[in-house]
Amino acid sequence: MNIEARTERSINSAIEENVTGLKTAIEGMSFEDYKAPLFVAWQINSECNLGCLHCCEEAGHSMPDEMNKEEVFNFLQQIADLNIPYVAFSGGEPLLHPYFFQMCEFLRRNNVSLKVETNGEFIDEQTAEKLGTLKFRSVQISLDGATAKTHEKLRLRGDWEKAVAACRYLIKEGVNTEIVFVPTKFNIHETGALIDFAYSLGAYGVYTGKMMRIGRAAKNWDILCPTDLEYEIFFAVLKEKIDLYKGKMKVYYYPYDVVEELRYRLESPSASVLVLPNGKVKLIGPLPFICGDLKKQTLAQVWEAYKKSWRNLEVIAFAKKVIADPKLLAKSNEWKQI
Amino acid sequence: MNFTEHVKIRNEKFGTVIFETLTEKIFITNETGARILGLIGQGRDLSQMVDELQKNYLANQEIEKDVTDFIDCLKENNFIAGESRQRK
Repeated sequence: MNIEARTERSINSAIEENVTGLKTAIEGMSFEDYKAPLFVAWQINSECNLGCLHCCEEAGHSMPDEMNKEEVFNFLQQIADLNIPYVAFSGGEPLLHPYFFQMCEFLRRNNVSLKVETNGEFIDEQTAEKLGTLKFRSVQISLDGATAKTHEKLRLRGDWEKAVAACRYLIKEGVNTEIVFVPTKFNIHETGALIDFAYSLGAYGVYTGKMMRIGRAAKNWDILCPTDLEYEIFFAVLKEKIDLYKGKMKVYYYPYDVVEELRYRLESPSASVLVLPNGKVKLIGPLPFICGDLKKQTLAQVWEAYKKSWRNLEVIAFAKKVIADPKLLAKSNEWKQI
Repeated sequence: MNFTEHVKIRNEKFGTVIFETLTEKIFITNETGARILGLIGQGRDLSQMVDELQKNYLANQEIEKDVTDFIDCLKENNFIAGESRQRK
């Protein structure tokens, strides 16, 4: 009896222990074979109450042309119709979106797995209770330090106490709560303490990796980017904590920087799309290219355009330039239609 | 025995994709595997699955070990949970 079973690589950046198996695991399967994306990363808004020095999206104010209610729910319906299994909402700060809860309810009603990436500052006890009833895949809260001082140095106008309180409320409601930590010169020394603190909170996991040289992080690169030695210590600490919390709490890290990721993606694009607040669809975070517009096209049409765009010579040439000169990553948010 | 909370299944032209969205692991199986997934979704136990598969299109084959191995693989990867109730 021939029961064929193959394990593929993880869809997103959360790589567990099997990093070395990355390429061999996807042999014989291409993103072009999928009839629709497996994952939609959706920046639902650009508005944010914070001004984080390392924000990839350079979030702050709303875009003038963000999708309206009708466009948002039209897209959600397409996600359901195409049987997209997994969606992540980010921003901006997604909880500031006027239809945030309705959007979450729509996806959960249609059995779509949903992750929400938030700074946590709008999650009080009542909101956590409401989120708990929606049975998310997870809620990710950014904690960029084990102390308020460190967190708030990086996350301007941020409130560490509120973010920690959000974690506590969510965990109390049984929500899988993942803590995201971005290492920079300002906070990398607190990596171990942050992971220990996450465990003491009862977090489902801690998710980290090298800072992405995109958006505001690219602009502030020289003051934020840790040294090679700091990264060496960072990865040693992570290894120690992974062993320490094995079976108790997940400690994920993505071992590649954004250039290594881009090099890999040029060969093996993922079966996912990145949707911006205005409905434009980006090929991948580090590149400026827009491959579709959900205000004018269906998701099925955009998916076909996405597949073709990865074979576009202009895209390939520019990606190679970025790999050779990572300073070009600073242009990743200067969108260009292809 | 049933699928764990965050498992999603989608048919593609090259096979059936099982996606555990919490661990973000993806598993791809063929038509026979997909048939077993369907039976798991119906809440069948191992014994019922083996009977069903033998009855419908694999009558002459000894399939219990293959089905058990497949189910064990799904369990190891957290795609399913619960007792499979092996045949005595």
